[in-house]
Amino acid sequence: MWLVSYIKHFLIAKLKNASTWSALLAGLMVLLPLMIVMLFPFSSSLDQQYRLAGERLASNGSRDTLACITCHGRQGEGDFVMGIPRLAGLHPDYIKKQLEDYARAPLRTRVVLDPIARDYIKTPRTYGDLTVFTPGTRHNDEMNVVAKTLSPEDRHNLALYYSALPFVATPKAYDFETLERGEDLALRGKPEYGLPACVSCHGPNGQGFGAVFPPLVGQPMVYMIDQINKWQTGRRDNDHLSLMKNIANQLTDGDKINVAAYYSNQSYSVNVE
Amino acid sequence: MMKINTIYLKRVLLYGGCLLFPVFVMAQELGQSLGSLDVRPSLVNPRLSLPTQLTQVHVVSPGEYFSPPLVADIPDDKYGDMVRMGRNIFVNSAKYAKRYAGNGLNCSSCHLQEGRKPHSGPLWAAFGMYPMYRHKTRTVVTFEERIQDCFLYSMDGIAPTLDSPEMKALVTYAQWLSKGAPVGIKLPGRGFPIVNRSQDLDSKRGKIVYETRCEICHGEDGKGKKHLQGDGYMFPPLWGRNSYNKGAGMQRIKTLAQFIKGNMPLGASFSLSDQESLDVAMYIWLQDRPKNPKMSWVMDFFLPNMAH
Repeated sequence: MWLVSYIKHFLIAKLKNASTWSALLAGLMVLLPLMIVMLFPFSSSLDQQYRLAGERLASNGSRDTLACITCHGRQGEGDFVMGIPRLAGLHPDYIKKQLEDYARAPLRTRVVLDPIARDYIKTPRTYGDLTVFTPGTRHNDEMNVVAKTLSPEDRHNLALYYSALPFVATPKAYDFETLERGEDLALRGKPEYGLPACVSCHGPNGQGFGAVFPPLVGQPMVYMIDQINKWQTGRRDNDHLSLMKNIANQLTDGDKINVAAYYSNQSYSVNVE
Repeated sequence: MMKINTIYLKRVLLYGGCLLFPVFVMAQELGQSLGSLDVRPSLVNPRLSLPTQLTQVHVVSPGEYFSPPLVADIPDDKYGDMVRMGRNIFVNSAKYAKRYAGNGLNCSSCHLQEGRKPHSGPLWAAFGMYPMYRHKTRTVVTFEERIQDCFLYSMDGIAPTLDSPEMKALVTYAQWLSKGAPVGIKLPGRGFPIVNRSQDLDSKRGKIVYETRCEICHGEDGKGKKHLQGDGYMFPPLWGRNSYNKGAGMQRIKTLAQFIKGNMPLGASFSLSDQESLDVAMYIWLQDRPKNPKMSWVMDFFLPNMAH
């Protein structure tokens, strides 16, 4: 008990002393503005510089490549008719990863496809620990050429620039039956075939979730169908755990149209005050 | 003479035991970690993607599983309203059954795709099987009592009374989903798939499986990921304050492994082997979560991961 009372009296004496308080106050007055100056505007101004550099590259292009805005639009809104995806408001890490994967493709290695469709559920799994994890690839005649000229800094700048751009989707009209079937697939998937719903990963309204799951709403219908086709043919193979590949392999042509129509029918806005 | 002998024996047993016990434990650990047939999982960096040829695909023939009615076909009457309310509770329990739900999980966190997916405890396969004998309670339970247990353990909340509108709505929804399904017959896709244990479980291997397959959605800390806008979870928490409690069925390693094998990762069902599912289930089982409401605090402290 003597120890407790000793500490208590010691503290009371200290706190009653005016010099302790003034020292604390002075310390705070020096430290707080320093912390604010050091942390807050420093990083944001750096990001602003990256963003400006990204904007310069996007609108003017470089010595080797075209400007991004020639296809993707002045505000990164894409082209609905041509099926060119929007970039505005996408997650910066997603944009970065896609550019890396575009720069990697096409791979030099020869990939031998199995000509006979196998019943994989009956195949014994012996390679569980010997799996080789290839980096992802995306095939696109234009983007493969463009992405190869970009440096890592360029990718970072472009990603920061496009992720901050505002975007407002224009809902497109389709017939009721298509939308109803699309909605059923988007919200519930095809449970009897083990096909999960779109919303279970891409967000409740298809607005995307994090750096891994990109938005579906606001993307052109042609682009979405084209991407699923590319997953089916192996020309796009850069998803985590090949989840989207498995899913795309179970989608029929009708499913693709229905669900793409459903998502281009939705209204959506991002980065808009 | 005899007396000296017994004292000597006692001493040998005491000191020898003290000396040999750590050796014995070490030998056991060594034997577990360095089995001759044991293959160590590769400690790869975070993977980018799996090559196509090495992915297992679960082949489903058309008509193999029962297909429940469409949501668009819910009738526009009082019965249909009850079905819709039940569906709302099912997919968003934290909002529509707020007074009974206790954590961040919904019914559809385990009964995937609104209770429709085979191998994830589909409602259409369960509804016709009740009332049934349950080993957990050693009694015959009705469908309503089973739902009460879901709320009490898996959702770490309060059991809804039998006359509450929430309970009525859930039973109506289950009945509507299983329209056309036979009664009292074990349908294919019922419950969870079978998992066989071939070797000892290892939570270290399970941790690697978790980091490579599960972490991307459920998060590094296993606490799930919340919606960007609004309440609720996008990816449900696997442990921690907002997950199921220690009395839940998922706290059995076998049940959890069965669920994982049949449903996870989402979109790649049956891609994990039995051993991988069991290992990762053990890893999840070891984590901290709310206490079993039927167990005292003392027991909860000393037997932290006992299920039933």
